Order: sequence, then structure tokens, then C-alpha cells
Amino acid sequence: MTVFILRRLLSIMVTFFIVSVLIFVMMHAIKGGPFDAGDMPMPPAVRDRIMAKYGLDQPIYVQYLKYMWGVLRLDFGVPFQSPGETVLELIGRAWVPSLVLGGLGVLIGAPLGILLGMAAALRRNTWVDYLASAVATLGLTIPVFVTSMLLILVFAVWLAWLPASGWGEPKKWILPIIAYATIPMATYARYTRSAMLDTLNKPFVTVLRAKGLSERRILFQHVLRNSSIPMVTVFLPMFIGTATGSIFVEAMFRVPGLGAYFVSSIRTRDYPLEMALMLMLTVMFCLAYLLSDILYAWLNPRIRVGGRKG
Amino acid sequence: MTVTSATPTPTPTPTYRQRGPLWFAWRRFVANKGAVVAGAVLAVIMVMAIIAPFITKAGPNAQDFLTDSLAAPSATYWFGVDDLGRDFFTRIIYGARVSLTIGFAAATFSVLIGIPLGALAGYYEGWVDWVIMRVIEIFSVVPPLLAAMLLGALTRGGFLTIVVISALFGWVQVCLLVRAQIKAFKEKEFVRAAQALGASPGYVIRRHLIPNSISPIIVGFVLAIPLAMMLEASLSFLGIGVPPPTPSWGQMINTGMSFMYFYWHMAVFPTAALAITVLATTLFGDGLRDALDPTMKGR
Repeated sequence: MTVFILRRLLSIMVTFFIVSVLIFVMMHAIKGGPFDAGDMPMPPAVRDRIMAKYGLDQPIYVQYLKYMWGVLRLDFGVPFQSPGETVLELIGRAWVPSLVLGGLGVLIGAPLGILLGMAAALRRNTWVDYLASAVATLGLTIPVFVTSMLLILVFAVWLAWLPASGWGEPKKWILPIIAYATIPMATYARYTRSAMLDTLNKPFVTVLRAKGLSERRILFQHVLRNSSIPMVTVFLPMFIGTATGSIFVEAMFRVPGLGAYFVSSIRTRDYPLEMALMLMLTVMFCLAYLLSDILYAWLNPRIRVGGRKG
Repeated sequence: MTVTSATPTPTPTPTYRQRGPLWFAWRRFVANKGAVVAGAVLAVIMVMAIIAPFITKAGPNAQDFLTDSLAAPSATYWFGVDDLGRDFFTRIIYGARVSLTIGFAAATFSVLIGIPLGALAGYYEGWVDWVIMRVIEIFSVVPPLLAAMLLGALTRGGFLTIVVISALFGWVQVCLLVRAQIKAFKEKEFVRAAQALGASPGYVIRRHLIPNSISPIIVGFVLAIPLAMMLEASLSFLGIGVPPPTPSWGQMINTGMSFMYFYWHMAVFPTAALAITVLATTLFGDGLRDALDPTMKGR
């Protein structure tokens, strides 16, 4: 098991290194710089001094090494678009709304999806099953900004029950949380249904029935436990995926979260912030996959021996 | 051995026909009502996109109705008029052209990249497989949308860029499907026989392994279409996709946001168009997958 984790860690570090170089090079290859003459033209001498202050006049590999050296000491630099704080402070401040909305969305959506998937698997080919399939397909195919748009149109514009946008009082949270929740709900409805159907068709369930165990105990003690593996492994990547979803949900509901910075940092060539955001997401995805693999191995003793991930 | 004068009795023609696997796949597909309906809807959308100039009253970018700007849907303007005096029905129909073209083009490129790489990884295993799998791992830890945003900014957006970006993230799925199929078929007797007769790896892959992977390839192709369409809409929504005035649903949804309180048609029609098209393509693809590979049913 230790060898397995170490090998995966090494592989992740290689992946992370390649990704960080790719992103850094791509980011700097985009035409234009952060201090180009736009709305506020400045004399070339001033511009050169600012560029030198942030080290932007050096060759790109020097910039990369300097930045990554800073990252190792948790120094992500200063965002050009708001020089009064560090990148870390900015992310910490902007992440709160994203985390609250995304987290609540997942915490509400995932259990609903699991219940729906269970109901669908137990009552196959009834209306519950069709409902679950409809929810799963709709949630996974319709882009989240379309869902948000429909929610705003129905509940804010036509029915006028809830405010359409903003942040602050919890009443304004309801619509964005619903928009966020559709994705985990759909994902879990789908995974739970197929995992439970898989388990229910296994011979050991027939044996349990034959020996006279009650349906309830079969369901909760055996079937649920055996079909929980895909449900556990899908959780972390999905949770982190809400960060990408935040770009759209927050734009639709005008939430002052992290989402807007993904777009604005690219648009204004805000290299330190852009790099920090991309690295953060990449690291979290890497760790989420690693943790999922470990959890998977821990829950499923059969793959522990080989040490090779499935 | 004497030859009898009578003509040899012909073997009686069997009353049943030999059914090929495609026939069974077709039967399974037709039995799936949702997939058939989705296919029909998709066909209607495709036909409308193709004959667009004949069913619309003006060009997609013609500002012919400026006096009626933002008019609500009526008998004259089926979907109303947008803020710049363009017939909205026309814009939506031409939007289907953009969306479908990008979807199909991206899926084609995904397949073109995915098949050879999947075949190589599946056939050779070893270090070739290792390298290709590491590349796939890189693509799986970078959120596609963010990478697409970077690439879009790098190449200044545009039609072709979006196709390339979608293909760049779409080939992974095709590659994995083909790889799995080829791994499964590599050890079969007919492949062994071909190898024993001296067939080169290239020949075996081309003549035996890829034809046997045709159903995962079809499935991968069809399921790559909605993903590309969604990516296009997302990027256009963020303003880094297909540049205006080319009609794109994502772009129209973004514009519609600012108008939706008073001019609901600006938001509703592009939203519905995108949702219906993506949904129809996905259901059609799911139906095809279930029909071509019955063991995967219900996943």
C-alpha cells in the first residue's frame, strides 16, 4: 500500500511539473502584457520600471523558476489587478462565497441524488426510475449557465419569489445553491442507480434472500455497502469541479466569488493570480484523484494486492 | 460412381434469414423510444440548419428590422427581434449551423486523434502505453474549461480554434474506448493467426483490430458531439468563443441575460435551443451505445 501511494505521488509530481510548465509558457505566450497602454497610458520608462519591479523583463525560465521557488514557500506573488494584497489573501477572501455555495450545493445535491438513484434501482422501470434517468440526463447534459438562466427566469422574473442575484442574506443563496446542486444530484443519481443494479444482480444477494434475511437488512448491510465504492471515489473530483462551475454560476447570479477571477486574470494578463488559480486547481484535482484511488483500494481489498490502479 | 440423371436437389432455402449483428443493434435501437425521438429531433434540427436560407426571412446578421427592435414573438417574427434589429428565429436557426458544425468537426478530429493513439496504446502496451496514459492523465487533471480559456486567449478565439480545443479534450474518451477494445481483441485467435502468417502490426491493426472496434468508435464519435457543443457555448458565453456577429447560442444567452427582465424571448429561445440540441444528441448517443454494446445498458 505504501509503495502504491508513493508511486502515485511520484507520478502526480511529474504530471504537476509538466502541467505547471505548460500553463506558465502558454500564459506568457498570449500577446500583450499586464501593463500595456490601455485605458491608462504611461511613459515607456515608467512601464519598464514596473516590468522590472515584477521581474517581467527577465527570460521566461528565470521567471518560472522564481515563481515556483516562491510557490514552495507559499508565496504566490501580488495580483496586478489589486496590488494592495497578496494573491493568497485575494483567493482566501474570494473563495468564501464560492466555497459556501458550492459546498452547500454538493451537500444538498449528493444525498438527493443517492436517494433518487436508490429508489430508481429498487423500483426499476417505474416512474421513479424514469424520473431519476431524466434528472441524471438533464443535469449532466445541460450546461450550468442554462440551468441558472431557467431558474432566474422562473423563480425571479416570472414568479418573483426569490432575488435573482447578489450575495449576503441567505435568501439570495437559494437559487445559486440549486443551480450548483443539479450537477452532483445528476451524477449521484446515475452512479448510484447503476452501482446498485450491479450489486443487486450478484449471486450473493440471491443467497442472502434464500437464507431468509429481510430485504431491509440485505439492502442496508450488504447491497449499499458493496455499491458504495463508485459513490465514494467520485465525490472529491466532483466537489473540486464546483470551482469550475463557479465561473458560470457566479457570473449568472452576480456572486462576488472566485469565478470571475478565472476570466479576468486571463483577460488582464494577471500572471501571478492566473498561475496561482491554475496551480491550485491542478493540485486539488491531482490530490482528489490520489485520495480517491487510496479510498478505492481501502474499500476494495481485491485491488490492494496488485498495487496497480484500475 | 454413377451420375443420376435427376438434377441434384437444391438445398432448401431456409425460411429464416441469417441476421447480422448490425440488424440486432438496429432492432435494439428502434426499441428504445427515447433514443428514436432524440434522433428524430436531431434530424429535424440538422435539416433546418442545412436549409436555413430558405426558411428564414433575412440573413443572420442583417439588421433589417431596426424599427421593430426587441419586438416580442408574433406571427411576423416567430421568436421576436433582438436588440440590434435582427430576426431572432433566423439567428437561432443559424446558431444551429454553428453549433452542429463545431460539434461534428470536433468529434471528427477527436476520432482522428483518438483512434491511432488508442490503437498504439492498446496494441504495444509497454512504454508506448505508459507515455500515452501519462498524456491522458495530464488532460484529466487540468480542468478543460480553464485550459480552453487559456488556449482561446492565446489564439484569439474563432471558429477553428474552438474545434481544435474541443478535439484536444475530446480525443481522450475515444482513445480510452479504442484502447480497451483493442486490448480485448489482441489475444483472439484470428489476430494470432494473422500474426503467425506474417502480417505486420500495422496491417493487423488496420485490417483486424480497428474494424472490430467500430462500435466504440461510433459511440465515442457521437458522444463527443454534445461535449464540443457545450464547450463552444460555454466559451462563447464567456465572450472568448465564436466572435460576434456570427450567431452562437452561448453568446445569445449572455446577451439575453441583460434583457431578460423585460424581453424574455432574448433569453428563453437560445437557452431552449442549446438545451434541446445537446439533450437530443446525448440521448441519441446513449441509445446508440446501448444498441451497439448491450452489456453497457443502463450505465
